[in-house]
Amino acid sequence: MSLDLPILPRATTAAGERYDGVIDLERVRAAHQPVHRRRDQLSADGNTAAAIATLQMWRCILYPGFPITPSTKWIETVAAYVASHPGKKRVKLLEAEHAVADYLAGAAAACRDLVFPTATSSVGLDHMTETTRSLGASGLGNVMVINVYRATANYPLCIEGDPSDALAHRDDGFIQLVCRGPQQIYDTVLQAPCLGMHPEIMTPTMPGYWGIKDSHRSARLVVEPDEEIHAFQDAWLPESRLPGLLNGDTAFGNCVTSRHFQGFKLDQKRRMERVFELLPRIGADFEHHFGRPGLGLFDGAGWNGTADDVDIAVVGMGPDFGTFEALRAGYEKRHRVRVAGMAMRLLTPFPREAVRARLAGAGVVLVVNHAHHYGRGHLTLDVADAIAGLPDPPRIVSVFAGLGGADVSEGTWEALLDRARAALAGAPVPAWGMFHEGVAL
Amino acid sequence: MDTLLDLRDVIARGTLEIRGDGKAGGGLILAFQSLAALLLQDPTLHVQEWPFFSSARRGANIRSFMRVSARPITAACEVTRPTVALLMNEGATAAVDFAEGVPDGGTFVINTRHSPAECAQHFKLSGRVFTVPGDDIGLKHLKAPLGNVSAFVALTHALGGLDPDAVGKSFLASLRKRRIPDSVIERNRAALDASRAAVRSGVYRCAGPADHTAAQFAGYGALPVGAQSPLRLSLGNRTANYAPSGFRLKFDDPSGACTGCAHCITHCPEGVIHFVPDDRRGLLVTGVDVTNHCKLCGECIAVCPEHLFQQLPYEEAWGVRDEEPVAP
Repeated sequence: MSLDLPILPRATTAAGERYDGVIDLERVRAAHQPVHRRRDQLSADGNTAAAIATLQMWRCILYPGFPITPSTKWIETVAAYVASHPGKKRVKLLEAEHAVADYLAGAAAACRDLVFPTATSSVGLDHMTETTRSLGASGLGNVMVINVYRATANYPLCIEGDPSDALAHRDDGFIQLVCRGPQQIYDTVLQAPCLGMHPEIMTPTMPGYWGIKDSHRSARLVVEPDEEIHAFQDAWLPESRLPGLLNGDTAFGNCVTSRHFQGFKLDQKRRMERVFELLPRIGADFEHHFGRPGLGLFDGAGWNGTADDVDIAVVGMGPDFGTFEALRAGYEKRHRVRVAGMAMRLLTPFPREAVRARLAGAGVVLVVNHAHHYGRGHLTLDVADAIAGLPDPPRIVSVFAGLGGADVSEGTWEALLDRARAALAGAPVPAWGMFHEGVAL
Repeated sequence: MDTLLDLRDVIARGTLEIRGDGKAGGGLILAFQSLAALLLQDPTLHVQEWPFFSSARRGANIRSFMRVSARPITAACEVTRPTVALLMNEGATAAVDFAEGVPDGGTFVINTRHSPAECAQHFKLSGRVFTVPGDDIGLKHLKAPLGNVSAFVALTHALGGLDPDAVGKSFLASLRKRRIPDSVIERNRAALDASRAAVRSGVYRCAGPADHTAAQFAGYGALPVGAQSPLRLSLGNRTANYAPSGFRLKFDDPSGACTGCAHCITHCPEGVIHFVPDDRRGLLVTGVDVTNHCKLCGECIAVCPEHLFQQLPYEEAWGVRDEEPVAP
């Protein structure tokens, strides 16, 4: 990167050398070449939508990456754009995912006011693990790892969407946002830095979406003018109060005793939980700016309000929830039951209070897990935790469907709802069930 | 068949579902992406398009799906009852029934050199059948049997009501997005023009009531420990499906030229070469079983010192070689 920046006087801190103002943000902003000067409509898949969003941010000037299916098109799209539009943005293709994560850490620590994105999947995210755990604790909210869900197992190898990778990294210290469809992917990537870089949060973000089912699904995408995006983001992103750290003095330099470790983690946890309040505010502001729903804790379908007395409340995530949305009203009518659902948008930290409030009036909660788990399901455990302590908690029906990106057909959804309906009528509920093509396996 | 389904009416009243079957590397996904981009130019339409493919290499069966509606689309499951079914590569039918689930009166689009009537009879189709000799057009204009340009054009014919200029521009725009060189784009333009005149169609009733019904999923059965599926690590994995389409291996030794060197036998990764021991020469090759496992890797062709193996044109779905006449 060559920004022709002046060398500024250095100030020394206890942590080492500090280069205040070494990166002239106004010059970085001025160097940005707009990708879209006006609102436009395109046909785009999820990876392309995520790539366009990162290209439109003036704060994104470096794009480290290493390709892995099904996220590869993100770096391909970014690289193709950067190559055909000479400017100050640079793509850095690295040796492996671990190197990408290290690069992110160094670059993000060097300038906390810029955003450093990458995209990966499955074992790519696993390869990053040593560094993602540190990143999560580092306060580097300007790092964004776009996680294109794919089953984490290398055996059997499966390239389709399955959130087991994201779920295996719940405690890395990233804010995990779930999106579905190109528009929501685009919008989420634009909002994520506002959340992660917020002075009260300072935690890296991990927007995620289903591999193949969404990474490769094309639909209409409305893109906003770069100028409007910058206005929205800049309002949420005051200049970082922490110094940019260069010359080997990164955020990873500390080794502490247990006494400090616990205190550090407590602070990390508190920062993370600020997400519950700030995320909806950012989402509301996004909607005010652009007229589309912004970030939320979950998408709802069929609710008349908080704690609505529905018979069956479905909790799920990802594109398969859309199939449920499509058949929900018909199922209600045929079986004379009230059915509503929520698709999680905030996975980590899990919004337990909001989920509890929404599920309090449900007769049965049907939790649909899409990733392998030796217990009742990752999502089920979170939901069980959320509703624990309610005076009359709804029964939980825990099911698995769509593992390894398997299709979750209308027949499967009907079978899942039938099981929930049976539970509503008092039938015994097994600890978990797995379904495919309308068949309980 | 009571009536033909009016595709525009299906879009207006509900959701038009389209499914395509082909083989990896054949351009099926590009054809669907181009169609999605074309339809999205109509601001009143909502469109979803996505593929299904595996980690297997070029030649493996793939699928594409599309939903088109005047209302927002949330359903994300695979299309199992398409109103329109596209067969991009006839070789794909060795592994799937491309017409499975298509309702009576549906629309079939086939990349083939055969006529709509022949296809309706051969594949047992009831409804409107469109054909286009896409591979031949591809060979002529693109120097490769790529039928996706023609299949895309035939699909737009089937949908109807689309401006021919916009149809061509949409496909070429998809190519430009992929940074295809201008010279290749021009050849695709010629293929588009040739395809318009080559689409044929007819209405037929050749399907019986039990044809093309989807098999009920009956569970996975007992998987062997460590196996990825019942197909993997077993003879049940029909690797011939991964062979390049339109060709088949042939062993021909009318003069007994085989030297018995056995190079072909040791190089064949699938063990499909038949042989007999010969005291004087070694292992004499007697033939090749190409029915299930020959994936046309070409190892035997490369190593045979007598050049006794060849790759010949073959229409897998019809069981005829190129030189054989096709029944009218």
